[in-house]
Amino acid sequence: MSVPQLVIEGLHVTVEGKEIVKGLDLTVGGGEIHAIMGPNGTGKSTLASALMGHPKYEVTGGRVTLDGQDLLSMSVDERARAGLFLAMQYPAEVPGVSNANFIRQSLNARAGEGNEIPVLKFHRQLQEKMKKLNIDASFAERYLNEGFSGGEKKRNEILQMSMLEPRIAILDEIDSGLDIDALKIVAEGVNNLKSPQTGFLIITHYQRLLNYIVPDRVHVMMQGRIVKSGGRELAEYLEAHGYDELKAELGIEDESVQAGV
Amino acid sequence: MTEKNVVSASVGRALSHQLQEADWLADWRESAWTSFQTLEKPWLEKTDLKRCQFEVVEKSPSTGSHLEARKLFESVTGSAVLILGNRIEAIRLTEEDKKNGVVLMSLHEASHTHRHLLEKYLGSVVPSSHSKWAALNAAAFQAGVLLYIPRHVEVSSDILIIRSEEEALESAYPRTLVIADTGAKARVAEMQFAKPAATSAAATSDVWEVVAENDARLEIGLIDEILAGPYRFYTRRAKLGKDAEVNWYAASTGDGLAVSDIESLLDGNGSRSNTRVLGTAVGRMHHDLTAKMTHAGRYSESDIVMHGVLRQKANAVFRSCTEIVKGAVEAGSEQHDRMILVDSTARADAIPMLLIDENDVKRCGHAASVGKIDPNQIYYLMSRGISEKLATRMIIWGYFEETILSLPVEEAVREAFVARLEKELD
Repeated sequence: MSVPQLVIEGLHVTVEGKEIVKGLDLTVGGGEIHAIMGPNGTGKSTLASALMGHPKYEVTGGRVTLDGQDLLSMSVDERARAGLFLAMQYPAEVPGVSNANFIRQSLNARAGEGNEIPVLKFHRQLQEKMKKLNIDASFAERYLNEGFSGGEKKRNEILQMSMLEPRIAILDEIDSGLDIDALKIVAEGVNNLKSPQTGFLIITHYQRLLNYIVPDRVHVMMQGRIVKSGGRELAEYLEAHGYDELKAELGIEDESVQAGV
Repeated sequence: MTEKNVVSASVGRALSHQLQEADWLADWRESAWTSFQTLEKPWLEKTDLKRCQFEVVEKSPSTGSHLEARKLFESVTGSAVLILGNRIEAIRLTEEDKKNGVVLMSLHEASHTHRHLLEKYLGSVVPSSHSKWAALNAAAFQAGVLLYIPRHVEVSSDILIIRSEEEALESAYPRTLVIADTGAKARVAEMQFAKPAATSAAATSDVWEVVAENDARLEIGLIDEILAGPYRFYTRRAKLGKDAEVNWYAASTGDGLAVSDIESLLDGNGSRSNTRVLGTAVGRMHHDLTAKMTHAGRYSESDIVMHGVLRQKANAVFRSCTEIVKGAVEAGSEQHDRMILVDSTARADAIPMLLIDENDVKRCGHAASVGKIDPNQIYYLMSRGISEKLATRMIIWGYFEETILSLPVEEAVREAFVARLEKELD
């Protein structure tokens, strides 16, 4: 299978009539881990939701391709079947639909009719992955995110990711609200999946996640676009100096999207 | 097929004679008939009954095969009754139930053999004065079923009553009386098979009377098939003794017109009752449903959960009503009503009601919502590759899942119901 590639060119995104992402360029290839950092309200999560195709987010300009295919013309489920995955910050709760059933339906949707994964094989795989992520076996039959703690929801997103083996995985603030043990488990889930077959886009405002997942590229987002890119040392610089120093260096007074031109 | 409206003053007595009932029951029907004639034609806030004709409908049985009903009767292992049209075709009691003294028989016959039980309980929970349609049923019921669970008997297998129609109005006035004596436990359900018919002004009336004596526990399943045709009235009511428990699981499908009442009278201290309603409505269905809990006993508790899914031009009014009467201290009750409108042409009302006359209430609350499926749920499922159509389906089935799994029925019955639901939802 070819190496995956996500190419974002000049992306503009509007939410409820307000432009949040204002001309963003980024290329993520298989085997690469990109981190997008930045203070709150700079458009990071909007980028993630727009790429997945959330109906509330309107793309008003630019181009996005996944493996050369026009991502923006695809419906949400088509994007997923093309290999895009978004670990969500606030995944929905769906009562009455078990985790296992949800994940199996997701896998089958990608495999297509006639290629469904055998039920026993699926459960064996699921149990294995759950064990690796230190998730209790009862998780499989619990209703999707219903009554889950914040940490359980995050682990569930990682479980889904490891089962679906996406070509491009976007993790939207997967570290928020996690204690250090849960953070390590989540990081391990990502590291286990690291291969030339998967590219990662990790959105976070803290550097601490990047102690466990080593990024190849770090991008800082302010005012709805990437204002600085670098290697992992950029994350360390931010940890040591904070965003304020970078803002001074770049001559940015207000980093929020409202301030963008 | 003949259909005639009988206006004779002695309709109850004539029917009683025809069914070879004891004289006392003929008198009982006769007095119900008088109530029926004196009771005003009802007025409902959300259901127009102007066209409805409250008259006794008599119809000669059809010659249909009742294939589905017969098949289901053969496939269950617990005690069961098979009713075809207005005739009890077969009654089967398990050896264990027989040994334990469980009574499952026709009410008509029981008027001779179990007179003391009937005189004590028949009409004690749904009296003729309850409503015009309850009186109509009392005067004209046919294929009545009596289920009696003796003291401290725990029935281990699910009891099933199957009522099948091959033509609408074939069984216009079914009646079931369930008595769980002190400390008795049982799971019992009724599954109905109906056939659609041209819309008519006729009224049918279906009555379930349930008595749970002290410490008794009943799980009751009701699987109604409400198809277009007459006006259908359902009255299901339970009376609970001290520390008794009655849980209702009421599932309905169809495109017909129905007024349903499910009520628990929590008379006994410490009694409790849950009602779960699952309703789907298609076509031009109009379903006016009230789930009510009347708390008279101290420390009594109840919960109502109602789930509706409406398509096409269906219209449903789901009311949940909790009444806590003065003196029922420390009573508790919660209501959750949620109605999903799949198509924008469907209409629904979720009406919660709390009628509280006691100051000392343990907990009381309600939540009601009507609307489309949460778009965030659809988005989430789609974001993993699931199509919008399948996502919608999964969410709706998920929403019904707990009620389907709770139905107190054997797997064969659950499967038959799921198959019916699948047809309705696809």
